[in-house]
Amino acid sequence: MPTITIKENEHSYDESEIITFAEGLIGLPQMRRAVLIEMDEFEPFCWLASVDKDNTRFIVVNPHELFAGYEPLLFHTPSNPLTLTIVKISSDWTRTTVNLRAPIVIDAKTKMGAQHILTGSDYQFAESLPQN
Amino acid sequence: MLVLSRRPGQKIVVGNEIVIEVISVSGDGVRIGISAPGSTSVHRYEVFTEIEEANRAAKAAISDDERSALENLSAHVRTKQK
Repeated sequence: MPTITIKENEHSYDESEIITFAEGLIGLPQMRRAVLIEMDEFEPFCWLASVDKDNTRFIVVNPHELFAGYEPLLFHTPSNPLTLTIVKISSDWTRTTVNLRAPIVIDAKTKMGAQHILTGSDYQFAESLPQN
Repeated sequence: MLVLSRRPGQKIVVGNEIVIEVISVSGDGVRIGISAPGSTSVHRYEVFTEIEEANRAAKAAISDDERSALENLSAHVRTKQK
């Protein structure tokens, strides 16, 4: 089984778990194949990590864990969507922001994903954590 | 870069499905209409670069010392969920 190392922990993954981004992510066209790695200690946050040489990785979260009413309007939504938002961690954790403007939507069945920019939306690309 | 001159009402086709029309010109502003398949995303360039920047910043923010920040953050979220 191939493995990926995050925070000194080696995580093995199966080829079938690989998510394919046909166009990469916005500004990161090399991020084409990635896996989602969950770690108990960081729940509900997880890692979206490239399985290729570029070594790109993001901290992501299911936006509904933080923003209950979040409803991105997409032109096309897969039947089994898995929505993730990219988290920009700050060393002062209270200043962490979440990109609600450009969610990553993955078809859970085909494992094909894309990052979408929401149009006509008030969601921010650096949304602060909810206050309460 | 290909540069074309067009007048209002004239169009340009990109690939087989994308049609760009100059709707009107007034002063230094141009109104442009774009017809593209739903799967093609069309955005103002500034919005695109903003997201590009946000992605790069999020990627760069992951360093060796963010472990404790992430631990605190996830503990905070879990406490709220209880």
